[in-house]
Amino acid sequence: MRYQLFKAIIDSSTRELKRMMSRPIYFITTILVMTFCFVFFLTFFDEGQPNKMPIGIVDLDQSSLSRQLVRNIDATQQVSVITKFSSHKEAREEMQRGNIYGFVEIKQNFAKDALTSHRPAIELYVNDAYLIAGSLVGKDLMYMSALSTGAMQRQILRAKGIEESRIMGIIQPIAIDTHLIGNQHANYGVYLLNVLLPGVLQLMILMMTIFAIGIEFKERTSARWLENANNSIFAAVTGKLLPYTLLFFIMGMISNLLLYHYMQYPLHSNIGWMFLNTFLFVVSYQAIGILIIGLMPVLRDGVTIVAFYGLLGFTFAGFTFPIEQMPAMSRIFSYIFPIRHYFNIYVNQALNGLDARNSILSYVALLSFCILPFFVYHRLKSAAIKQNFPIK
Amino acid sequence: MNSSKYFSEKNDKWTSIVKDIFAILRNEFKTVFRDRGVVIVFIIASIVYPLLYCGLYMNETLVNVPIAVVDASNTSQSRDLIRKMNATPDVEVAAKYGSMRDAKTAFESKEVHGIFYIPEDFDKNLVSGQQVNVSIYCDMSSFLYYRAMMQASNYVVLDKGKEVQVQRLNAQGITGENAEIISEPLTFENNVLYNAGMGFASFLMPAILILIIHQTLFFGIGMLAGTSREENRFHQLVSSSIHNGGTFRVIVGKSLCYLLMYVIFSFYILAVIPNIFNLPHIGNPLDIAKLMIPFLLATIFFSMTVSVFIPNRETGMIIFLFFSLIILFLSGISWPQSNINGFWKTFSWVFPAIHGIQGYIKINSMGATIRQVSYEYVSLWIQTIIYLLTATWAYRWQIKKSSNKQKLDQE
Repeated sequence: MRYQLFKAIIDSSTRELKRMMSRPIYFITTILVMTFCFVFFLTFFDEGQPNKMPIGIVDLDQSSLSRQLVRNIDATQQVSVITKFSSHKEAREEMQRGNIYGFVEIKQNFAKDALTSHRPAIELYVNDAYLIAGSLVGKDLMYMSALSTGAMQRQILRAKGIEESRIMGIIQPIAIDTHLIGNQHANYGVYLLNVLLPGVLQLMILMMTIFAIGIEFKERTSARWLENANNSIFAAVTGKLLPYTLLFFIMGMISNLLLYHYMQYPLHSNIGWMFLNTFLFVVSYQAIGILIIGLMPVLRDGVTIVAFYGLLGFTFAGFTFPIEQMPAMSRIFSYIFPIRHYFNIYVNQALNGLDARNSILSYVALLSFCILPFFVYHRLKSAAIKQNFPIK
Repeated sequence: MNSSKYFSEKNDKWTSIVKDIFAILRNEFKTVFRDRGVVIVFIIASIVYPLLYCGLYMNETLVNVPIAVVDASNTSQSRDLIRKMNATPDVEVAAKYGSMRDAKTAFESKEVHGIFYIPEDFDKNLVSGQQVNVSIYCDMSSFLYYRAMMQASNYVVLDKGKEVQVQRLNAQGITGENAEIISEPLTFENNVLYNAGMGFASFLMPAILILIIHQTLFFGIGMLAGTSREENRFHQLVSSSIHNGGTFRVIVGKSLCYLLMYVIFSFYILAVIPNIFNLPHIGNPLDIAKLMIPFLLATIFFSMTVSVFIPNRETGMIIFLFFSLIILFLSGISWPQSNINGFWKTFSWVFPAIHGIQGYIKINSMGATIRQVSYEYVSLWIQTIIYLLTATWAYRWQIKKSSNKQKLDQE
């Protein structure tokens, strides 16, 4: 009995492997897409944080002091002064064209006012329609302004004969010591790629699961598929999907290795926990795929449904906008996305390096998705035999 | 040659072209509405996606992110700092712990997303005039947690710092206006433009909206082409009497069908939705409309070109769905365009959505005029022309192939 089941699964796998050789789509979706994404995202974010973003200067003063300020701005890491404008309007229009992410406006008489203690104002403008660029440029400009202010204060205080040891305590009475847990350099790639790559992987797993099973219905070959697996739907499905489990798991592991070894992204736990995470992630998405094609044994509808569900996964992973701050229902809703649990495990294990106990619930949640196919066990079998669903 | 005959012939020719185009247009409308899958992609997705995403990202910024406080100093000064922290909109002091160890446990169980630590010598150093340190620990799982923590603590520390600064200057005998000048010798005014609330939806949604138009058009057209390829219907589009001009009529007829639909959808997505959800919309609607015409045309012809290579109804979506993500990043809305490397920048030229997104954001969110986005506007027209040519070529090839196959089948 056990041997028969084993043989049926192998037969089903063999049959699938032959199918996979017959059309390019199998190779494209399992290997080519992920390879493309590896190359794309790893080269796209290789800078870590965007540096030397273009900003402008409106220097209406043209004094040595204002030029010094401009040099200070240019020396900061994340901005680069690319254009000097002669008026506010000009700079603003250039910002609307999207060529600069911010500009600094130095008014006339800046140097004179500064030297005569008239506290000249310097206007900083940042474009937050591009939130990332705007925030980073804004942060850098604020940093620069604190430095400039500090330098000036130091000069005045020295002139007033204040002891050197007291000066720092006056310029900046309270300092913040910032610790960024897990991602010390606020690397943007770390934050994005740890979810984007699994995100694409889940799209492909869902699509391929639906396609591999759905095509049997569409081409009216499902009865033969079942026969080939000794009429066991369990063996037919398991055997069919095994090659994909293996392929996607390998792609997922490559993804882990690329991130944690090649890119040296933070990994504060044993990589085995991420491999386990990836494996359960692959299997749970396959289970969801089976459920969907079982409920709706029509290829074209299945594809549409998983496209919708898969894209929502990026939102419900909760890495961009935290789930806790979304409308209340979303929190409950997010549990039906394995990528949410994957993300939790990643945060606990790889990013924060916690004890694995913290992630047990998420691992169990991933595993529990594997129950889903059993709900459509009979439905899938009967659909396979009767082939009674529309092919369109 | 009789000139009146010449003109009537010419007239006949034009009438027949217009007739053909209308027949194709009507036929395409029927095909679209008879196909449930296509209706879902074109219509349902265009309606539902904007609502859904706007709904999910409705809370533009994080408010009251729970944080933990460890106050080792426990003096009136440190408690004042904590009160100030709690008063910021960004964070909320959810719990106070006696040790970092306990705070860390709360962080690990995700009860808090940041830790604010005030050291034991806080008050002592404050009194003795030295620089005082506080520590913050930020949850880096989401950049928005990090930003909330940084914003709140920076604000509070600066605020408290000013107070202390004045006291210390007074202690040195510097008072009044003199103290103020030292405290702020230069004044920096920070002006956040085009998204003053630094909202997440205000930043991301405009790009998503354009992406929705681009992707639904792409997948819908791909689905239609895949289906007609499966059913080998391509050749039926051209009656056998017309040859070369025929392809062009097919392209015009079909694209007119998509264009008419998407003019309506675009109005809903770009005019109605931003109003309902209070997304940025400071642009001139006329300029947006001007930009949308080449954007829709370029997208339609681009999709028609690619669609010819899609062998089956489903394959388009299976293979290209992940491109939605690639396009979003190529558009430069998140990772700035100035920092996208040359290769990917060139590659991004393939997709009308890139110029569409940039142009739309500049007009809609930043109030640029169509003249200011002339780069995007002209690029979209160039794409329109290029993709019209490729679509014509691709359709001609496909129609020929399809009718040859038909002939073979008949023999």
